[in-house]
Amino acid sequence: MRVAAVYKWARGVDGATVHADGTVQWRVTKMVAGEDDHAVLAVAQALAGDSDGSVVGLTIGDGDASWALARGVTETVSVADAPSLTDEAATAEILAAAVTSLGGVDVVAVGDAEEHPGVAVALAGKLGWGVVAGVTRAAVTGGRVAAVRRVGDVEETVSAATPVVLGVAAEAAEPKAPGMKELLAARKRPVTTTTLADLGLDPVDPVDQRGTRVPEVTAARLFDGEPADAARALVAALRNEGVLR
Amino acid sequence: MTAPTWVLATDTALLTTCVELARGAGGPVTVVAAGPRELADAAAAAGPDRVLWAEPEADRPAESLAPTIAAAAADAGVRVLVSTVAPAARALLGAAATAVSASVVAGAVALSVDGDALVVERSALDGAVLETLATAGALALVARGDEVAAPDGAPAPVEPLAAGPVADLRVVSRTPVGGASGVRDAERVVSIGRGVRAKADLELIGTLTSALDAEIACSMPIADDLGWVPKERYIGRSGQHIAPRLYLAVGIAGMPQHMEGVRDAKVVAAINNDPAAPIFRTADYGVVGDLYEVVPALVEALRE
Ligand SMILES: Cc1cc2nc3c(=O)[nH]c(=O)nc-3n(C[C@H](O)[C@H](O)[C@H](O)COP(=O)(O)OP(=O)(O)OC[C@H]3O[C@@H](n4cnc5c(N)ncnc54)[C@H](O)[C@@H]3O)c2cc1C
Repeated sequence: MRVAAVYKWARGVDGATVHADGTVQWRVTKMVAGEDDHAVLAVAQALAGDSDGSVVGLTIGDGDASWALARGVTETVSVADAPSLTDEAATAEILAAAVTSLGGVDVVAVGDAEEHPGVAVALAGKLGWGVVAGVTRAAVTGGRVAAVRRVGDVEETVSAATPVVLGVAAEAAEPKAPGMKELLAARKRPVTTTTLADLGLDPVDPVDQRGTRVPEVTAARLFDGEPADAARALVAALRNEGVLR
Repeated sequence: MTAPTWVLATDTALLTTCVELARGAGGPVTVVAAGPRELADAAAAAGPDRVLWAEPEADRPAESLAPTIAAAAADAGVRVLVSTVAPAARALLGAAATAVSASVVAGAVALSVDGDALVVERSALDGAVLETLATAGALALVARGDEVAAPDGAPAPVEPLAAGPVADLRVVSRTPVGGASGVRDAERVVSIGRGVRAKADLELIGTLTSALDAEIACSMPIADDLGWVPKERYIGRSGQHIAPRLYLAVGIAGMPQHMEGVRDAKVVAAINNDPAAPIFRTADYGVVGDLYEVVPALVEALRE
């Protein structure tokens, strides 16, 4: 199977500062590796390994594309001038055009990101493929993809015909990040760069931002000072809530 | 006439919340229930104008119906689509959004109409900001919010959705995982994080769990990296999702991945020596202090 692993396709939440007046300042505007991206790559590599296939990396925007090359991927494509868009369907449209241009892709693995949960499923929509979201691992069996996910208290295995999109959710942080040597070597490896124009795209974001504000959060009622007093105050509050025995 | 709005549902979570969000578009609201008859009945009681019911074939997941639902949404001229974040429901949303050329926006908490524009308020940046977005086009929303009670009144009529093309997906196995740990159904849970320095300190924590008649739980590193508490007791996105009446976090930072597991807890309280710890932003009550002083004091106060 030829598996496209999509990585670095959104800006990171950590790159934004929300000011007290509710305005948002993006200190880091580059696309960064999402917290699911390492799991995306692991799933892609597992599927390729099971099927004597290959993994092709796909990234959009101006992030450093060598991220995948430092993790064992030998071929990667970057749509370098893709902007960050509010409409997740518009992002999916760019990814879909890029996947199509790669040719012969059987599976797309992409992060099922908390912050952008619409991208994986909209990508499947744009491609007209099936999708399994919330996937934590996958294997190839009988020419089909067996994708595993947790639904409540049940671990479910869904068998999918290809082509298919897998929305992959990481269960933990990346177990072993590549070292400096791998990172530096990866920077020297070739990245195939393509543009929106090459893909025949001229993305417009149909969604306008009218403003941002800080949500009214009811901050925790804090008890500090002497531990004995604070503890007593907490117990009183919990009793009041009726949550103690 | 205002264009119709469809809520795409594959389970009963947040049904009424989604219908209420959908009402903001001003048009008639249909819930498309992809699942067993009980789901259609629950949808009918959630306040929509009608329910379209489609049952996947045996051994097929709900998302196998995505092509059918997408085609029907296009036929009906749907302008607004709503789903929860549940993977199956989102799969339906992605397909239907493409069919009606809708923009996709996640974290939606409110929807309204302003002239020709649809205006959505959504939570972004891990909940740090509320963003107001507008579009003249069609809109597919991943809803966010808390469970609300179903309205009173007669249930909406349930009509079958005509059969159509299905995606080639099959459920090949379903295995229950880590349900039997006791933490799932506990009324009170004391949960420990890396603020606890040594495994031997579980004895101290034990005095608190007995005083509270609580079950013990933990953050992921305590179970995964340290192995002090069985894995089926760690809470969070990749662990247990629980809804106790009291969740008391002891020495837990409160990272979003952890807090996802206790979104439905009634009261969250935290002990942390860092007043800037993220947990104090989501907890209801907190004690700022060293857990090695606060825990014994708490046990004492509970005895009083
Ligand atoms: C993809 C992904 C999925 C994840 N899924 C989960 C998940 O399901 N569940 C989960 O729990 N985590 C999960 N994590 C990890 C999560 O991001 C945090 O790293 C983890 O929850 C932190 O655990 P902690 O709060 O125990 O430790 P820390 O972050 O080390 O926090 C310890 C806290 O204890 C406080 N403290 C220290 N000493 C004391 C003292 N003497 N008295 C009082 N307080 C003290 C500190 O101020 C600090 O706030 C996931 C991460 C990723 C990337």
